[in-house]
Amino acid sequence: MKCILVVLSIQDGKIKRSSLEALTRAATIGEATSSPVHAVIMHSSAASFAAEAGSYGADTVFCLSDRIFDAHVNTPVLAGLTTVINQVDPKLIVAASTESIKDIAGALAIRIDAATLPDVASFDMVDGTVTCERPVMAAKMMAKTTSAHSRVLVTLRSGSYEAKASSGAGKMVEVPFEWDTNLLSATLKEIISTTGNTVDLSEAKVVVAAGRGVKDASGKALVDELASITGAAIGASRAVVETGLFPATAQIGQTGKVVSPDLYFAIGISGAIQHVAGMSNSRVIVAINKDADAPIFDVATYGLVGDCFKILPLLNDALRKALA
Amino acid sequence: MKFCVCIKQVPDVQASVQTGRMVLNAYDASAVEQALVINENGTDEIDLILIGPASATETIRKALAMGASNATHIVMENVADLDSSAIAHLLAESLKGSNYDAILTGKQSQDSDSGLAGGMLAELLGIPYATNAVGMEATADGLLVTRQGDTGQEMLVLKAPCLVTCSNDMNNPRIPSLKGIMGAKRTTINTVQAGPVGTPKTKVEKTFPPAGRAPGLKMEGEPEELVAQLITKLQQEAGAI
Amino acid sequence: MEDKFDVIIVGGGIAGLSAAMTLARGNAKFLLIERGEFCGAKNVSGGVLWGNDLAKLVPKYWKEEGGYERFVNHRRLTFMDDQSAFSVDFKSAHFDAPPYTGVTVLRSVFDAWLAGKVQEAIESSEHPDESFLATDILVEEVLQENGKVIGIRAGEERFYADCVILAEGVNNLLTRQIGLEKAYVPVDHMAIGVKEVLKLDASRLQDRFQLTGRSGLTNEFVGACSEGVEGGGFLYTNSDSISLGLVLGLKDLKEKEKTPYDVLNTFKQHPAVAAMIHGAETVEYSAHAVSTGDIKALPSELYKDGVLIAGEAAHLLLNAGKAIQGMDFAMRSGILAAETAIEGKKAGDFSSSMLKNYRTALENSYVLKDMRSFQDAVHLLHQQEMFSAIPNMICDFGRQFFTISGEPTPKASKMMQASIKRHSSYWDLVKLGLKGAKSL
Ligand SMILES: Cc1cc2nc3c(=O)[nH]c(=O)nc-3n(C[C@H](O)[C@H](O)[C@H](O)COP(=O)(O)OP(=O)(O)OC[C@H]3O[C@@H](n4cnc5c(N)ncnc54)[C@H](O)[C@@H]3O)c2cc1C
Ligand SMILES: Cc1cc2nc3c(=O)[nH]c(=O)nc-3n(C[C@H](O)[C@H](O)[C@H](O)COP(=O)(O)OP(=O)(O)OC[C@H]3O[C@@H](n4cnc5c(N)ncnc54)[C@H](O)[C@@H]3O)c2cc1C
Ligand SMILES: Nc1ncnc2c1ncn2[C@@H]1O[C@H](COP(=O)(O)O)[C@@H](O)[C@H]1O
Repeated sequence: MKCILVVLSIQDGKIKRSSLEALTRAATIGEATSSPVHAVIMHSSAASFAAEAGSYGADTVFCLSDRIFDAHVNTPVLAGLTTVINQVDPKLIVAASTESIKDIAGALAIRIDAATLPDVASFDMVDGTVTCERPVMAAKMMAKTTSAHSRVLVTLRSGSYEAKASSGAGKMVEVPFEWDTNLLSATLKEIISTTGNTVDLSEAKVVVAAGRGVKDASGKALVDELASITGAAIGASRAVVETGLFPATAQIGQTGKVVSPDLYFAIGISGAIQHVAGMSNSRVIVAINKDADAPIFDVATYGLVGDCFKILPLLNDALRKALA
Repeated sequence: MKFCVCIKQVPDVQASVQTGRMVLNAYDASAVEQALVINENGTDEIDLILIGPASATETIRKALAMGASNATHIVMENVADLDSSAIAHLLAESLKGSNYDAILTGKQSQDSDSGLAGGMLAELLGIPYATNAVGMEATADGLLVTRQGDTGQEMLVLKAPCLVTCSNDMNNPRIPSLKGIMGAKRTTINTVQAGPVGTPKTKVEKTFPPAGRAPGLKMEGEPEELVAQLITKLQQEAGAI
Repeated sequence: MEDKFDVIIVGGGIAGLSAAMTLARGNAKFLLIERGEFCGAKNVSGGVLWGNDLAKLVPKYWKEEGGYERFVNHRRLTFMDDQSAFSVDFKSAHFDAPPYTGVTVLRSVFDAWLAGKVQEAIESSEHPDESFLATDILVEEVLQENGKVIGIRAGEERFYADCVILAEGVNNLLTRQIGLEKAYVPVDHMAIGVKEVLKLDASRLQDRFQLTGRSGLTNEFVGACSEGVEGGGFLYTNSDSISLGLVLGLKDLKEKEKTPYDVLNTFKQHPAVAAMIHGAETVEYSAHAVSTGDIKALPSELYKDGVLIAGEAAHLLLNAGKAIQGMDFAMRSGILAAETAIEGKKAGDFSSSMLKNYRTALENSYVLKDMRSFQDAVHLLHQQEMFSAIPNMICDFGRQFFTISGEPTPKASKMMQASIKRHSSYWDLVKLGLKGAKSL
């Protein structure tokens, strides 16, 4: 039986939770179809993550160690992955749908002749056919999409499955990788990091997202406070990313990130479909908006009709007490 | 710079009542806009390419009206059945041997939300690329691209010829002027029939509305009451805090 | 002047598109400018398009899939009190065959479709590259020279034409700009229309309203639907949705301190309406001004040198109880304005003495004839009794008439007398009756 290969992304010194979700799902499918499940890690100290990958169900963990991987540039990543894929010849390749993976998915699919099911909400493999359900039309519709191609690449939305460690311990294989920087046709000039030490959106259990209703720095301060009280990552609508009040990394939605936390606060966000596309899978959604007819209330578990400048100070106090 | 922008016609996802109206993919509009901005003071022309039904000329004219100069329309009625890979192969076929400095695509299609065609096309043409660009400037021999990555923005230098997939966070596309609209109507669109396409590697079996969320609770009243109610609900009903 | 057109049309609504179609057929060179992202994007009607001018503009339109929603073969007028609904209902197979005299439309679909038809007409005209439909552009100014209209300005762009047709709808800022209407429209000449589109699966819709194929129902309401505010309600069936809304007098709304949205919500909860929209999901809410159709609201003139006013920009609308006629009037006036412009082109004369023919044509058509003949009905409809006492009385009578309680039943005439006593006085009713008889 051909194997399943899971591409694991490393961020801030650990394997991304969304990668572990993908690995957990792959392990389940591997078991059901008796296919071996392997993982690949590309990082300057790739081997240090191998044990964890093993504990989430990877039989073999292929490690490519090179500093070039620590800042994302697509050419070496493509080269590294192609090497491993040619070596293990997987039927199914799975990765979390991060910006770095989205960056290489198309080119990789061509290079390794794979069919691609991008940004899926769920997937399975039955009799060699890979099936998935993926949101389309700004998540207004779901499309059941299949591929019977000999090789399929799936990228998985974060939060689609729960990451579960098992008792397994994988075998680690170092794959020699050498990269000549002169080969870079695209060179990285600079990285402007905007997340710093804040909580990563796609991993967060709680997200506080701000929209145009938050207006200015004083509104942002209230949002920041709510986030710090609840240990939340900060998200934003496109409107406030455009005005520069929030960084583009915080954008949630069709253009931005997809999140599915336990608890989502939408503060002064109208609920345009392109925004909802990125957050409607959150378990509990709290919306604060002064317009009782705002579409965000159609998806909110708890909708508070009112001025966020009046509600947030009270809410922050109450939450501080409740969580103390 | 000599640009070629790949544009797609998509259904209007914003419409509350499904009107069947088709529009220019918003991400592609941003790609056209950025090419226009870069060439603002130059004489280089911006070409467009679209694969789609005969009725998609309307979308081509919209992008021409923004200021693009020429357009190729690869006529293909059942384009909706094709996946990104089939599209990328058709585009590559048509662009092979061309001498553009840069090919631009949208970061994704608003309808299928795939985000693949750009990277695929770059690979097929064997040129460097960057995706999800939120900024783009011309350099002496290529482009300086700012792309939105996972943790921040990455600035990349790409040597021409290259390909960039554009985010709508890059700019706000201009609304065509009356002169633009008239000029676009008078532009001759180079229409060609699509060549053969292989069987797509993926297939959409069916589409259906997502399972809706359980109806929520909308609370109105004094801020104090609202907050008190919310805390109770979050603690006792939702178990979220 | 680089680009000079025979005609510039401002507004791609019903009036503008009807004028454009007529001009394209007449081989005139024209530019139509619409501020919406596409024709229909911003437009709101209930919407039944009455009459048969559509068949003239798009022959055999009923053979097409797009365009209209359903043809009307079933009409109902309902009087309501809080609990009851008393309806006059008429359905006839006479209405089943084309050309239909009424079709329901969703403007965002219909206008875009009609614009497509105009585009086709342009392409098969003598000047396929010299006439344009331009959207997403706001005309800010009408350009004049020595009191004569010569073109328009949109942003920094200026375009010139022998004749401008203003088809800008009820918010007729440009008509006011050139002095044909006062800057401020009296509030009693204006009403507000609010409307929801509620999605309902086509098969459920057909079962619920006993529709077959593309047949449809129109239902107008008076009485409790407007919570005592001057006005009335409507419910129209579309292909797979229901249009439900109210047209309410602006002045009365203000005096009674109600918001149209609240009144609409109450209307939706009326037992008779709730049953009709049960299970249907609101997918669109919109509000738009409407003219009350008072002939006194007409601009001081409908033309002057180099310009013609068509459609609701000229306050051409009739709402005399049994239907709102704004779109059909817009269509006819658009056609007549374009025909006048074509005559003007032939004669090389766009002066007011030539364009006066437009006024004459409108006076001779059903548009101004009906507006004049039904003025009394329009005024009658605005009497307080019409949306409270009378519907209440009718429902009261209905309740007695249709009750079988095991007690001796009085004669219907007795019941009627009792109802009248409870809700009105004989004299008021006699007066109203006489007025009504005269007005219709
Ligand atoms: C192709 C495409 C992709 C897009 N991708 C994204 C995306 O990824 N993410 C995204 O967010 N958007 C995206 N958009 C944009 C989206 O359509 C909306 O324009 C955007 O989400 C609006 O942001 P907003 O809700 O903050 O602003 P608005 O729509 O302006 O809403 C502001 C809200 O705040 C409320 N408000 C105002 N003041 C207060 C107050 N004092 N207290 C409480 N409430 C208040 C208002 O009632 C209003 O509902 C995309 C659009 C397109 C065309
Ligand atoms: C709730 C409601 C229900 C109704 N129901 C019915 C009904 O059932 N039957 C019926 O016949 N009528 C009905 N009407 C009335 C009907 O909608 C109008 O009378 C009709 O739309 C008038 O058509 P028009 O072409 O004159 O104006 P509109 O349809 O309003 O079109 C005017 C167009 O001009 C454009 N425009 C305006 N200014 C500019 C500018 N400066 N530059 C560029 N473009 C501009 C606008 O965007 C618009 O597209 C209803 C109205 C309402 C509000
Ligand atoms: N039919 C098409 N014609 C031209 N370009 C297209 C077409 N389909 C997709 N593209 C380009 O590919 C991008 C989207 O890729 P994808 O999301 O994979 O469909 C679009 O933004 C376009 O630039």
